[in-house]
Amino acid sequence: MRKNKQAAPAAFKLILLCVFAALVLLPLLRMLLHISPESLKSVFSSAGIGGILAQSLIVTLTATVITVLIAYVLAYCLERTGIRGKELFRLILILPMLIPSISHGMGLIILLGNNGILTRMFHLQTSIYGFWGIVIGSVMYAFPVAFLMLADVMHYEDCSPYEAAKVLNIPRWRQMTSITMPFLRKPLISVIFAVFTMIITDYGVPLMVGGKIKTISVVMYQEVIGQLNFDTGSVYGAILLLPAVVAFLVDLSNRDKGSSAFVIKAFPLNKNRGTLAFSYIYCIVVSLLTVLPIISFMVLGFTAKYPNDMRFSFYNVQRVFDLDGGQYLLNSVLIAVLVALVGSLLGFMTAYMTARMKSGLSRLLHLIAMTAMAIPGIVLGLSYVLVYKGSPVYGTIIILVMANLVHFIASPYLMMYNSLGKINENIEAVGQTLRIGRLRLIKDVFLPQSMSTLREMFAYFFVNSMMTISAVSFLATTDTKPISLMITQFEAQMQLENAAIVSLLILLVNLLLKGTIALLRRRKLRKLGASAVLDH
Amino acid sequence: MDTLKDKKTKLRITDLSKNYDGKCALEHVSFDVFQGEFLSILGPSGCGKTTLLRILIGLLEASSGTVALNGKDITNAPPAERSMGIVFQNYALFENMTVLGNVEYALKIRKETRATARQKAKEMLALLGMSEYENKKPGDLSGGQQQRVAIARTLVLHPEIILFDEPMSALDVDTRITLRREIKSLQAQFDTTMIYITHDQEEAFAMADRIMIMNNAHLVQIDTPDAIVEHPADDYVRRFVLENLQAKADSIRRFVRG
Repeated sequence: MRKNKQAAPAAFKLILLCVFAALVLLPLLRMLLHISPESLKSVFSSAGIGGILAQSLIVTLTATVITVLIAYVLAYCLERTGIRGKELFRLILILPMLIPSISHGMGLIILLGNNGILTRMFHLQTSIYGFWGIVIGSVMYAFPVAFLMLADVMHYEDCSPYEAAKVLNIPRWRQMTSITMPFLRKPLISVIFAVFTMIITDYGVPLMVGGKIKTISVVMYQEVIGQLNFDTGSVYGAILLLPAVVAFLVDLSNRDKGSSAFVIKAFPLNKNRGTLAFSYIYCIVVSLLTVLPIISFMVLGFTAKYPNDMRFSFYNVQRVFDLDGGQYLLNSVLIAVLVALVGSLLGFMTAYMTARMKSGLSRLLHLIAMTAMAIPGIVLGLSYVLVYKGSPVYGTIIILVMANLVHFIASPYLMMYNSLGKINENIEAVGQTLRIGRLRLIKDVFLPQSMSTLREMFAYFFVNSMMTISAVSFLATTDTKPISLMITQFEAQMQLENAAIVSLLILLVNLLLKGTIALLRRRKLRKLGASAVLDH
Repeated sequence: MDTLKDKKTKLRITDLSKNYDGKCALEHVSFDVFQGEFLSILGPSGCGKTTLLRILIGLLEASSGTVALNGKDITNAPPAERSMGIVFQNYALFENMTVLGNVEYALKIRKETRATARQKAKEMLALLGMSEYENKKPGDLSGGQQQRVAIARTLVLHPEIILFDEPMSALDVDTRITLRREIKSLQAQFDTTMIYITHDQEEAFAMADRIMIMNNAHLVQIDTPDAIVEHPADDYVRRFVLENLQAKADSIRRFVRG
């Protein structure tokens, strides 16, 4: 009888494994198997390949270093100093995460392009197209993610070793090398790899401002979209998969250890006048640079004909909607809602199975769910074309939902895995002795305790599905196209005014969603009363 | 307890063994627990006492041997059908429910009506002096208060046996001493058999009718505290007992000096 009771969860785990295998592993294998010796030869014997690889690497490395440095200082200012207005700064600084990568490239062009707002204002002579364009755009795109990760690391660093060091009279530089560095090494490696992967696999920024510099992801995009060349596309996909897989493996080995540390004593806030002044200036400058592109979207989007006729006008908005923008916006919202609903449910079920019912199967399931993180969006998109072409889902909204689901599931899954893992280990045992079944416990105990994580998961899925241009680019048809892809369409026709409006629309929808979630959370907190603590 | 011989056997453990991946966590353990008895299981960490507890309540399957309750074999019965409750060191309360919700939850799931479930839960909380915290969440309570809720949650179902898995390890000394007294008085009131795991010798000697000393997956000795002090079974127990006497002497000294 007890054997039977254990058989049901095992069967359920097997089903989940199959779902993940079909959604994650199968497409990936299909793409790798699609690589033929001929296509390999044609890619690696082509004239520019050495340059493309080298340029991608250099540009990505440069952008990664700058991103992490900027984000580190930012995280310090907001986690460790006593400046005011942290909530506001945080809100502004994560705005770039709500718009597509390609919009960041576009922002640069609007501001600093040949006819750009700043170019004209200050009569600049430099060109934004090329190496520095990609670097700056990529930094804009990636720094909020690095900032959030680093702020989290700092939030959970323990101050007590430093106090001990102070008592023992250990000099500051020794504290740096013996406490800070060993503590930071692993999380920093994780952040660096995450940022590196994010930048090298993105085609949006280099497509916009790359100029003559072509990166691997842009080449892959153009091979597949422009020439429908799936064979060489697969080869580039495999190349892009490489850093992502390395990052994934490093991260996995990193994560298993040292994640259980907890804070005995939080850091005191640095209220040194010089530090405060610097922090204010730094945060304000970065915030300004963050909102500048968004302001430029408004300037460009709501003028009649930039730069000749600067009168306020709804002409561009009108045009976006004339070109079926409304339909595409609905597509996007529908996709985002479906991904968020299905994704949160799948993420919760999987996390429950892996965090609360440990077994060999659970570990395998955990690994596959995390593998999804390693697959760059465009690689995923191409894989899905190869596997699902000819199937009934191909060309429908469903395949877009599936691709986004897989593309974004790893992070929310991990959120829920951690959150469920923190709930008392003996709850199920208590349930068994009190004759409260597992399903009832899920409904009455685990779900209610995971509501805030569920809301966060929902928001993550929604926001990312709204803004993504990567996984969906090869899968959308004229009927199912999400609105984010209108930006690439307008980019091809150099109609930045309309692309700016689209970016603003996406930003607006995502802000509305984020605002609603924040409101729900606040109401919940008020209900809980004064004793509830904001869990960061 | 001088009258132990007259008591009837509540729980009979016969030749119980448990192997994990080739390692022996429990080896040929046999003993009886009497009706209404307070039995402390004492031993260092890793001695097999938690394994034993989990087998007794049915959370873990034994490799061999039997467990019988009131003469009936329950070796393979599911936890809920053993008429046993368990109290964990880390309380394991339902954090999203109120104190009252925690206690009435299991009742509500059974056939009790809402009203009777609530009334029984309230009575139990009153008994443990927790009435004024009814509507609080576990997160707002002290460790001792949370442990009282955990005990109430178990006791409200009137189990025949309550198992305690180091329930006081996380509590401060004052709270421990108060809770000890409360647990003992609850035991008398409900005539519940209690099996109490601890690595704290002082606690075991202060509370138990009988003490069972375990080491290295084996049962070393089971007897009344006095008998163990007077006739320790081997060197290991003798060392154990001397340490305990020392601790007791220390605490008396502390008490006298105030």
